[in-house]
Amino acid sequence: MNEPQAVLITTETVLLPKRLRASEVVTALKDIGRRIESGPVTVDFRDVEEFDSSTLALLNYVRNRLTNVTAVNIGGALARAAESFVGRPPAAEPELPPSGNAAVRALAAIADRFIFQVRSLGRFLAMLGDEVYHVGVYLKERKGVYPGETWNQMFFMGYRSFPIVCLLIFLVGVTISITSANQLALFGADIYLADLVGIAMLRELVPLMTGVILAGKVGAAVTAELASMTVLEEVDALRTMGVVPEKFLMVPRLLAITLVVPLLVAMADVVGIFGGIVVARAKFGTPASAFITEMVTSVDWTDFGWGLIKTVVFGWAVVVGSGFKGLTVGRSAEEVGRATTESVVLSITLIIVIDCIFAFILY
Amino acid sequence: MDIIRTRNLAVGYGRTEVLRDLAFTVPEGRITVVVGVSGSGKSTLLKTLAGLLPPLDGGFDFGGSPVDYRSEASLRLLYDKIGVLYQGGALLNSLSLFENVALPIRMQHPRMPEDMVRDMVFASLAQVELAGSADKYPAQLSGGMTKRGALARALVLDPDVVFCDEPSSGLDPITSALLDDLLLRLKETFKMTLVVVTHELRSIARVADRVLVVNDGGLRFAGDYADLAAVDDAFIRTFFLRKDSHDDA
Repeated sequence: MNEPQAVLITTETVLLPKRLRASEVVTALKDIGRRIESGPVTVDFRDVEEFDSSTLALLNYVRNRLTNVTAVNIGGALARAAESFVGRPPAAEPELPPSGNAAVRALAAIADRFIFQVRSLGRFLAMLGDEVYHVGVYLKERKGVYPGETWNQMFFMGYRSFPIVCLLIFLVGVTISITSANQLALFGADIYLADLVGIAMLRELVPLMTGVILAGKVGAAVTAELASMTVLEEVDALRTMGVVPEKFLMVPRLLAITLVVPLLVAMADVVGIFGGIVVARAKFGTPASAFITEMVTSVDWTDFGWGLIKTVVFGWAVVVGSGFKGLTVGRSAEEVGRATTESVVLSITLIIVIDCIFAFILY
Repeated sequence: MDIIRTRNLAVGYGRTEVLRDLAFTVPEGRITVVVGVSGSGKSTLLKTLAGLLPPLDGGFDFGGSPVDYRSEASLRLLYDKIGVLYQGGALLNSLSLFENVALPIRMQHPRMPEDMVRDMVFASLAQVELAGSADKYPAQLSGGMTKRGALARALVLDPDVVFCDEPSSGLDPITSALLDDLLLRLKETFKMTLVVVTHELRSIARVADRVLVVNDGGLRFAGDYADLAAVDDAFIRTFFLRKDSHDDA
């Protein structure tokens, strides 16, 4: 590999070589800098024949940034290129970060972020209120929503989520049973595995896990779809057609999740408990009938009902949260991906916060 | 009569003003073309006039009444009187072309008999010569068909004004010329008012009755297309004649 051509330095003039492209520019800049330290210099570009944009950047740098340069000589093609690209008035200086103490700047950034989050929360709550209103008005007036869209959404949210919800809840039932079984066996309390599984599944694990699965599957899909529609101006198009997008797009999804969740929860409760039955049978030889008989002594319809209500609330949180992210996305395709990721995080956060509130209320 | 009249209108996003002190009128039954270089704020202005982006300052009258962005009723009144052809068409991908064109009717007149909806949709599709593609989905349509389908949707409720955002963008010259002919036919047959945002010189020459030139944050020219030739403005000459500013030197 050829070494960059050395820069010829006379007592007062730095002569730059015939070939001065990116690989030579760095060397040249170092040499000019070194030469400047010992006194004022003239930088001569007249021999330069092979150049690129880095050469022009060097010329601009030498002309405008170095203080100890008395003259800059250029000629030929480089002069013509410089006239077109360097000779124009410099663009506005880029905005520099605010000066001052780093800690103050960090605090200001945190404050900005906090204000942004508070505003986002306000907009989210406003949207939640709007959606409750839109659902109420729709149920009364039955207009403003595309016919049949609720059924389409029910198919997507229910039928397509059903296999993954059942599989995961079954595995959760199995896992919670296995981890508890050995501890219960130590105290000869094998049969109480049924109580533990029943309470845990009906009250907590089925609603929570169903909510999280809906956040990942339904929430991400809702955000991706609505964000794409926003970016492609379909949401604007709806608005100028006199359609309220927050109603047209969100009400079918909210009605669908409200109608689908009870079915999902009922099925999930059954398969979750079935997971416990499988483990009890395998580990302790407990018959299914004994398991269920014991379980119903500690759980009742209230547990099932509260689990159902919790999951419907989680479902609303997922749909409103993901709809909020989808409808408030920017205008670039890149933001669709970001909004989708954020919507899953937002939905799961909302689910856990709401679950915590329910825990305070119920227990 | 002027159907749109702006009053010191400033448009932009957030706190950023893109265009300011805009005072112009849009006459009824004519094609007004908004012209400017990319990024000059043409589409931002169109969004404001279409009720999608609140003005940063000033305002505008539509049909003699001021448009109040804070009032849902005022915006709804505006939406009832306009149709918008978006740059990419903005047809809903989950609906067929027929359902896309029927959407404004179903939403505005939910109790209209299905036969009447069908007649209105096919009448609108026939205007844009797409009656044979009613069952297709947006993904199955070419760029020109998508634009024409979107125009059919914009026309289906007989708006007073149709806003067209870059109708020729991404189209070949022949399809683009067909779309221009369509806009002219709409004006001549239905006395429709059209506001067209474009920077396609051929389209401007074909369709424009009136021209608004925006550049450098403001309105550079507002007047009849025929008067443009007499305007002594370096930017306008450069834009319309593609005459390099260095040529004068």
